[in-house]
Amino acid sequence: MAGVRRHTEPPDTRSTGDEGLLAIRAAEGDEDAFAVLVQRHAPSLIRLATRLLGSRTEAEDAVQDAFISAWRRLPEFQGTSSFGTWTYRIVTNRCLNILRARKPVAPLETAGQVPAPEHAVSPARITEARDAVRELREALDLLSAEQRACWVLRELDGRPYDFIADAVGISQEAVRARVFRARRCLTQALGAWR
Amino acid sequence: MTRTSTPATLVEEIARAVTDVPGVAFLKPDLAGRLRSALATPERTSHTAAPPGVRLVRPQHPDGTWHIDIKLVAYSRTRAVDVARAARRAVTTCVASAASENATVRVTVTVTGMI
Amino acid sequence: MTAHTDPPNTPTDATEDERLPCGRLLSEVWTAWEDQADDPHLHECPHCGAAVHDLDQLQSAMSGLREESWDGAAPDAASLTRRVMDVVRLELRPGRPLPLGEPDEDLWVMEAVAARKLRAAAETVPGVRAGSCRLRPSPEQGEGGVEVRMEIHAPSGVALAALADDVRAQVGHAADRDLGMPVASVDIRVTDLIDSSADGQEGRD
Repeated sequence: MAGVRRHTEPPDTRSTGDEGLLAIRAAEGDEDAFAVLVQRHAPSLIRLATRLLGSRTEAEDAVQDAFISAWRRLPEFQGTSSFGTWTYRIVTNRCLNILRARKPVAPLETAGQVPAPEHAVSPARITEARDAVRELREALDLLSAEQRACWVLRELDGRPYDFIADAVGISQEAVRARVFRARRCLTQALGAWR
Repeated sequence: MTRTSTPATLVEEIARAVTDVPGVAFLKPDLAGRLRSALATPERTSHTAAPPGVRLVRPQHPDGTWHIDIKLVAYSRTRAVDVARAARRAVTTCVASAASENATVRVTVTVTGMI
Repeated sequence: MTAHTDPPNTPTDATEDERLPCGRLLSEVWTAWEDQADDPHLHECPHCGAAVHDLDQLQSAMSGLREESWDGAAPDAASLTRRVMDVVRLELRPGRPLPLGEPDEDLWVMEAVAARKLRAAAETVPGVRAGSCRLRPSPEQGEGGVEVRMEIHAPSGVALAALADDVRAQVGHAADRDLGMPVASVDIRVTDLIDSSADGQEGRD
């Protein structure tokens, strides 16, 4: 599987023209247009926030707050980026703040006691791979908020570095550095487990 | 309708009359009204005076000007101006029973939504 | 901007770069792996191979994690949308009141309500999509009409002047038929052309 790691998808695969019109209508007070945008972007943003926060419940709250904030800020939204990219950025920043508020986290030796975040229950087929996944999920809590965010956006969400830099609001070099440190930390955590 | 209406009941009469106008979906709930219904408890709603969407200012002198401000949501299949005019007529009829013959009645109707 | 990337307060060796015994930096090896660079050294060097193996292990655990956040219930977009819209409806932006009927009738319709009707009317012209719709009372006092400015996306390959005339007529008609709002002028601006061929959905940003 190692070679198969191209999972980058463009931020908006939908017609950006239609998207732009809906965003303009919503900015001018058409709440029905806004509802269409919310419905359309909610699934991918919930998925993003779940990956960032490790909890579906927290993720849904974060996305809900982000959309409400987007509604309030829409009149100033200039359409320099697509609505999808704009809300992606709002959700990312909201999650970053939540992660920052969570820190400092338990030191390494107690990492095993951190309760596993919610996740869908799988068939009771405990494999080594499953354990590695659980170990990885716990190891994510060892990362700083920024490292975690950059790593999740890069690896789980498959975003290019320039996109992440824009979403998090730091330079591409800083994103690369954080992804590197996250990988370093995570490979060591997985290695220690093995 | 009686000539001895208290302010609250006249407002309620106006609200009922406007709501009964064909094409009117409902009077526009103001923010307080929406929060009230969100947090509704029976005793709270029972003594709230003004129905949503109606504002009534009586004249200082009996022969002065009544100001009535209506905010309503109309059905989408209707023509907004026709509904607004019908609402104005309903309000004027209501107030006529309470106002003195020489008083002026000014009615403002705003269509705040069409559903 | 400097390429040096360690912030001053990053703790411990755990996240520092490392020079492998072969002389390569770990960060270089991983970057080459990520970029799928074709470097023969990486295939031959056992140290680089081990470093890449570590990352492969991480990647496979990561794909497990990615699938995990996928399975289970799909995100419930409908109920989230409902919760968001419950709050949004407490914070509507209806715009300004615009006159209905004859001058001085004191009957009004809110801008967002009228704009929705007029956009819908514009979109009855085949292929037209309506965006911004700004409504202003005419500055000429007593005239009472409303100035309509609408931006539309038009289908490509259509005579634009005629199309704009059609849209203007539909908008003017709807202002009277659906609202009873006097209109002073209807200004239609075509801001984009929609390529109707299936694969021609080009964005403009």
